[in-house]
This record gives sequence, structure tokens and C-alpha cells, in this order.
Amino acid sequence: MRFRLSDRQVGVLFMLPLLLAVALFLVWPIVEAVRLSFVRYNPLRPDDQPFVGLDNYLFVLEDPLFWESFRQALVWTGVSTVAQAAIGVGLALLLHQPLRGINAFRGLLLFPYIVPTVVIALNWRWLFNAEIGIVNHLLLSAGIISERVAWLSTPDMAMASAILLNVWKYTPFVVIVVLARLQTIPTELYDAARVDGAGALRRFRDITLPQLAEVLAVVVVFRTIWTFNKFEEIYLLTRGGPGTSTYNLALYAFDQAMANLRMGVGAASGVIMLALLLAGSLLYIRLTGFGREDRAA
Amino acid sequence: MTDVAIRRLSKSFGANRVLKALDLTVPSRQFVTLLGPSGCGKTTLLRLIAGLEQPSEGEIRFGERRVDGLPPGERNIAMVFQSYALYPTMDVARNIGYGLEVRGTPKAERRERVGAVARVLEILHLLARKPRQLSGGQRQRVALGRAMVRKPDIFLMDEPLSNLDAKLRAAMRGELRRFHLDLGTTTIYVTHDQLEAMTMSDLVVVMNEGVVLQIGTPEEVYARPANLFVAGFIGTPPMNLVPARNEGGRVTVEGHPLPVAAPAGAPAELILGIRPQDVSMAAPGEPGTIPGKVWMVELIGSERLIEVEIAPKLRVTAQVRASHRAALDDAVAVRLDPAQIHLFDPASGRALARDAGRETGAPPA
Repeated sequence: MRFRLSDRQVGVLFMLPLLLAVALFLVWPIVEAVRLSFVRYNPLRPDDQPFVGLDNYLFVLEDPLFWESFRQALVWTGVSTVAQAAIGVGLALLLHQPLRGINAFRGLLLFPYIVPTVVIALNWRWLFNAEIGIVNHLLLSAGIISERVAWLSTPDMAMASAILLNVWKYTPFVVIVVLARLQTIPTELYDAARVDGAGALRRFRDITLPQLAEVLAVVVVFRTIWTFNKFEEIYLLTRGGPGTSTYNLALYAFDQAMANLRMGVGAASGVIMLALLLAGSLLYIRLTGFGREDRAA
Repeated sequence: MTDVAIRRLSKSFGANRVLKALDLTVPSRQFVTLLGPSGCGKTTLLRLIAGLEQPSEGEIRFGERRVDGLPPGERNIAMVFQSYALYPTMDVARNIGYGLEVRGTPKAERRERVGAVARVLEILHLLARKPRQLSGGQRQRVALGRAMVRKPDIFLMDEPLSNLDAKLRAAMRGELRRFHLDLGTTTIYVTHDQLEAMTMSDLVVVMNEGVVLQIGTPEEVYARPANLFVAGFIGTPPMNLVPARNEGGRVTVEGHPLPVAAPAGAPAELILGIRPQDVSMAAPGEPGTIPGKVWMVELIGSERLIEVEIAPKLRVTAQVRASHRAALDDAVAVRLDPAQIHLFDPASGRALARDAGRETGAPPA
């Protein structure tokens, strides 16, 4: 007798590799993080993992550094995301113009997005070096500043530099997504609006912006999640310093788990981040009405 | 009321000259159709009149007012686009009233005028919907409403029926014509569909390759084409065009004399044009006919098209009653109605005046 599979069984077989990968790399780490957040776990003593209830969460919530990191994470994420969205839409509008050679610029714009973060961070540290960096040199020669700026070694400037790096690197992502959407807006809509007497600003407000709303909602959610969780840029550029002035929650969790060997506390702050992002995303999507149009249709 | 005068209008996109020193006057209150094949420049001409493109040379006047250089919003025109171009994020009422909104018309007046237009177009029940919730015909009406609500001097329409199915298109043709008669607004209508042009227009402007080839009433461009292009473009099935000779004042086709006199001063080589319905079947050998062989027979409902090969690769189509039977390769002859024969100069493509009673009546192309 021949061995036969139903269509349903074949379908399950095709999905199996993905399901395995998701289970292994997505579900298990999340479950493990949640489990770890309820135990005391010193990596040097892996055999000893006593259940401690909510102790890890209480530790985190009572730690002033957590709250400082949280405030800094809000600044870091908020300013980065808003700046990326605004600059990204502006650049996308520019790059949408049918000018000669515009494709070269569209290609070039991807550059920051594809260079590895390590390379960028090390280059930026060099560029922004207070003593030998070219940024200070150029600004001094141009007479814009009168003395060297300590870009990475004063708290406010370090945060500003880190945000600048993040904006520089990830604005292209916004540009690509927005540009793709812009290119699908029929030009006849703009013709119709011009015949109706709408000027450039009016056309942007009444035609372009409403059509970008959905894609901007997605972009802002993605950028918020990714920036809020971002670790390597800050770590490589400032290591959270000077002091703890550029700590965000990702750095805080890393520090607790790796430097202080409190894996449980690190996991607890990770779970808190997850909850915050989930709640924030849901709220934002509800507020922007994403997907409501389609359901109504 | 507003007539549209276009003088020496040229438009180039890079090296591509789309319009070539075009002259055209659209009389006030008339429904004028720009008819021509794809790429003939008719849509470009419409966009120039709308102000969506800037002319390379020449001028456009609405009445006494020179408008080239004015933005579209200051020309008091309304345009209906092929895709309708309804604003997808606005509901129907706001779509229709957008032009008024931009001009700062108070909200109450806006609602009233939108309502009045919607009542005429029978879309009152759709005002709260978004364009994506409408059928093609409904979108078409909204686009018309948006054009009508501002009471423009001129309606511009760019193939507004081409996205509708055949049945709806036939119905909308009648409605558009009806609206035009009611409103009496000067209308310029672009199409490549000669049926639309013939059924709706007061005047048809036949264009090709950026120039106007003939301006006339639908009857004129059909019955008296000014040149070979118009003769071949207007009419379904298309006019037969066959080479002919002027032999001492007598017209012959493939050596067969026809009962038609060549006009004085006609060249030796001619092109003879005749519509299929003016060709009848005859027995071979009858005087004044051209013998040939049946090459193809097609039934088109109440009538039948018979293609007769009168010389190698040279065929004449006759449109006869469906009851007329013919078998392939039958030896037959065709008779051309002498009164309906058009003669053209192959060098210039222009129609030759056959006699005083058959002036072409068209301006030189």
C-alpha cells in the first residue's frame, strides 16, 4: 500500500521548517526570558536557580538607574523617531521629483542603512572626537564655534550625538517606505487638485499626507520599537556614558545581566520593555486608526 | 459665454514635438470632440487648455482673456479625468465640494450646491461614501459632479467613458449629451472612440501627429473627409482605399473604367475611397464593375462583409445584407456607387473636389 498524505498534511509539512525556526528562535527565547525573570540566576552558578517571585521586578522598579534609563530611552526614542519621520518624508518628497539623475541620489541614500553599525559607530567616534575629530576642526575653521565641543563626553551632547547617529542611519528606511508609497499615488489626483485650485501646500495636506498616513503609522511603530530596543549604537558610541547619561533600557538590561551577573533582573527589565512596547504600539495604532478604512469598505 | 481660441500652439517634450503650431477655435456653448489615435496630441492639447502643461509656443484665449501662463485654478475650467481622479480619502460630498472648499466658499453654501448637483446626478444617497465603495458608473457621476458644481466656463473631458463597460458607456453617452444641452457649457471632449465623437459632438476635430486634419460636424467628417487620414480613420468598417488612375479624365481601377469623371487638373495617379456600404455585388462582366474573387466573408449581424480580391493583395470590402450569400473563391464583381466615390491626391493626401456639388468644405490640413 502506498503512503499518501492529505493536502492538509502536506501543507503542515511545508510549514514545519518555519514553525520550528519560530519556535526555536522566537517563542523559546521569550518564554525563557519570562521564566528567568522569576528566578535568581547567576551565570557563574547555573545549577542554582531559586524561584524568587516578583523580586526581580521589584528590584528593577526600585532601582533609580532603571528610571533614569527609562527617561533617557523615551528621549532617545521619541526624538529619533520624530526626526526620522520628518526628515524621511521631506527627503522622500525631494527624491520623488522627476529630475535628471535622481536615481543616483535614491541609490546613494541607502548607504547609511547598509553600512554595519560597528563601522559607523567607530567612524563617528573618530569624527566627533573632541581633540582630533574633523567635525570640531571644520566647525572651528568655519567660525561656527569658538572652542572645541565635547561631543561625546558631556551628557547632553552625548545623547544628541547618539540620536544624530540613529537618525542618520535609519532615515533612509523611512525614505524608502514613504517613497514607495508616494510613487503609487496617481498623478491625476494632483492634476485634479490643481484644476480645483489647490496650491502646493494644500495638495500636500489634502492628498499626499492622508495617503501617507497609513504607511507613516507603520513606519513610526517599527522605528519606535527598533529604536527603543536599540543597543549596539549607544553601546559602541558612548557605552552609556558619560556616567549613565546615555543609558537606555536595553543597555540597562545588558548591564544588569552581563556586568552585574543578575540574569533574572536583566530578564525582568526585558519583559518590562516588551510590555511597554506592546501597550504603546496598540495605543498608537488605535489612535491613528490604522486599518479602519479597509474594514469599513 | 466663452469660446476657446488657440493660436500657433506648439508643445515639445524634449525632442518630441507633440503639437505643431496648432490653430483651433472652439465656439462658445458647443460640444467639441478631439478625435485621433493614441499619441496624436489630443490629450496634450487638453492639458494645455487646462493649464496642466505649459505651451512651448503660441497662445490660448478664453474669450478675450489670455490664459496660457495662468495656473489651472485661475482659468475657471473643470476637468473630468479618465481614471476619474476622485480623492480617495475624502467622501463623495467633500470630493464634489473640494473646489469650492479651496476657494473659501462658506460651508452652508457648499453643502447646498453639492446637494443640488448630487440631486441632478442622482447620487444624493452616496454623499457619505468613500470613492472605493462606489461602482464605476457611480464614480463617473461623482467626477461629473465635481466638474459641474463650480459652474465652470469650460468643461474638459479626457476619455471619461473609457473605463466603463460597453452598456454603461452607451447610457452615459446619452447622459453626457443631455447634461451638455441642459447646461450649455462649452465642452472639449477627448476620445479615440469615433462612435463617441459621432454621437455626442457638435463639432469633431480630427487630429493626427500633432496637427488638426479636419474640423467639421460629425456629418461632414464622415461624408466629406478632407484627406486620406480622416477618410481611413472615420467609419466602421473602414473606407476602402484603392489605387486608381486618371486616364484622360476617366477614373480606372486596375484597368477597369468606372462611371466617374476625374476632376480637372487631377494627377494621373489617384487614391479612390469608398465606404463598404456603398459597394454592391454584381455579376462578373457587367459594365462599370470590377471583377474579382471572394476572399473572405464575415457576418456582422444584420449585414455581411464580403472582401473581394480585385488584384493580387488588393481587396475591396462590400457591406451587403446578411441574406446575400457568397462562397470563398466565387468569381464575382463589385459595383461602386459613383456618387459616393472619394478621390484623393496620393502625394498630398488631400481630397480632390469632384465637382461643384461635392466641395470638401474643409480647411486645408
